[in-house]
Amino acid sequence: MRMKKFINKPENVVLELLEGLALSHPDKIRLAGSNLVARAVPKAKGKVGVVTLGGSGHEPGLSGFVGEGMLDVSVAGEIFAAPGAPRCLEAIRMAEYGAGVLFIVLNHAGDVLSANITMDMARREGLNVKMTLTHEDIAGGPNPEDRRGLVGFLPVFKVAGAAAEEGRPLEACFEIAERMGRNMRTLAVAVRTATHPSTGQPIFELGDDEMEIGMGQHGEAGTGRMMLKTANETAEIVLDMLLKDLDVKAGEELLVIVNGAGATTLMELFLLFRHVHQILQARGVKLIRSAVDEFITTQEQAGFQLMIARMDAELIRLWDAPSNAPYFVVR
Amino acid sequence: MSGSITKDEFARMITGAAAMIRARHAALSALDCVAGDGDHGATMLRVAQQLEKAFAPGGEEDLRACLREAGWSVLGVDGGASSSLFGIFFGGMADAPADAGATGASQLAAMFEAGLATVRKQTKAQPGDKTMMDALVPAIAALRAAADAGKGVKESLYDAAAAARTGTEGTRHLTARYGRARLLGEKTRGHEDPGAASMSLIFEGFYDGFGESKGESGNA
Repeated sequence: MRMKKFINKPENVVLELLEGLALSHPDKIRLAGSNLVARAVPKAKGKVGVVTLGGSGHEPGLSGFVGEGMLDVSVAGEIFAAPGAPRCLEAIRMAEYGAGVLFIVLNHAGDVLSANITMDMARREGLNVKMTLTHEDIAGGPNPEDRRGLVGFLPVFKVAGAAAEEGRPLEACFEIAERMGRNMRTLAVAVRTATHPSTGQPIFELGDDEMEIGMGQHGEAGTGRMMLKTANETAEIVLDMLLKDLDVKAGEELLVIVNGAGATTLMELFLLFRHVHQILQARGVKLIRSAVDEFITTQEQAGFQLMIARMDAELIRLWDAPSNAPYFVVR
Repeated sequence: MSGSITKDEFARMITGAAAMIRARHAALSALDCVAGDGDHGATMLRVAQQLEKAFAPGGEEDLRACLREAGWSVLGVDGGASSSLFGIFFGGMADAPADAGATGASQLAAMFEAGLATVRKQTKAQPGDKTMMDALVPAIAALRAAADAGKGVKESLYDAAAAARTGTEGTRHLTARYGRARLLGEKTRGHEDPGAASMSLIFEGFYDGFGESKGESGNA
């Protein structure tokens, strides 16, 4: 079947999407250097810079979160592929305002490899960089190294970005990012595949009446393939696994994010969130902050990610701090 | 007198490797559709292009400078894990001491060993994990054994390419344990690993490329 996407030339998609993103928010972001997405107005001297990297095709992730209060520079790779170390190094140099740089990396093999090579080069240049890895997808099993970084990047960008904006030193920004990371858990569910915008190939196969729990950001197969269930049943299965893994007790305070994969409607996301809310209330867990939207997508894949995070007073304050990033405005 | 590999000799090897990738990129992409997103062939085409550019006539004359340049520009291909690993492999070859080998073949083995050491700093993958290491590790071991046995560059590269091919064929029977493919587990069985397949094409191309024109290095 012919791919039904509005594309000019497959090989130009990444550049054109970055240009479109920057042009649609010219007061906030711009393309700089080798197609790096940077703030239109650089951060004041003496503050920590915050940088991330990641493949394209997941919009608005990750470059839509560049802005005051969140990221300074985002390094976008090709479709579903990590950018190489030279451009990451360029981004880190760009985000150095005299107080060092926090490099936030989502745990995917290609991203981590690029990031590690970048860190080697940065050390050789004497740059002051600390790297934090997000790995909160519980489908990866008990070993944190095997857990992928999914929509949990959002609270990490948010709290670390806010801390950097406040003028906190690199060590503190790093500690806040790590604390946020340790206290969050995500699980993804897919119901329909997406086509790769360059190759036109479906990125995985799933029966018409099936869903898969544990599906990765790129359609990597999960472990729990089952017949499609209702919104309430699905929310319950997924939330139950997350609460167990994070060992949430009655009285604790949670941030909950429901992220749409691209083709799942907001209507469905609200149905899912509604039941999450009901379950938490019944268990005496406080749902103190929430976000329901598309933050990281995989083309027209249908499904969602549910993330829960245990919050403390400081993390809540930083989550509430202002941000003008195009896809996460907080006033 | 220590052996050496000249820039021109290595450039011929690169030309051979690039030709091999160009001839087989569609097959590499097809292999990548099994567990990846089907773009490995396209990535390798860009890798090949950068390698050729770094060794093109009119560029750096010093072999090590060319290797560093090649490594850096392959890293810049932005092709995910594959281009990063190929980038540090070629860049890392420049770290071998210029007089590490008594013959051309042993100098080449030392260069490849230095490249492998750089790759090992970034990945824990071992032969058996269904990655490019299944081709790279036996290829370099075969090259070293051939060099130690006093074989010339061309014969040593033949042994290396044969070992890489055998290693790649062996990945058919393995399940992926690294990278994105590991999440597909058993589904990857029955197909060669695309990274190993690329690595083995590159070694076959090295052999073809070195063999063309003058053949053996004068120093070998």
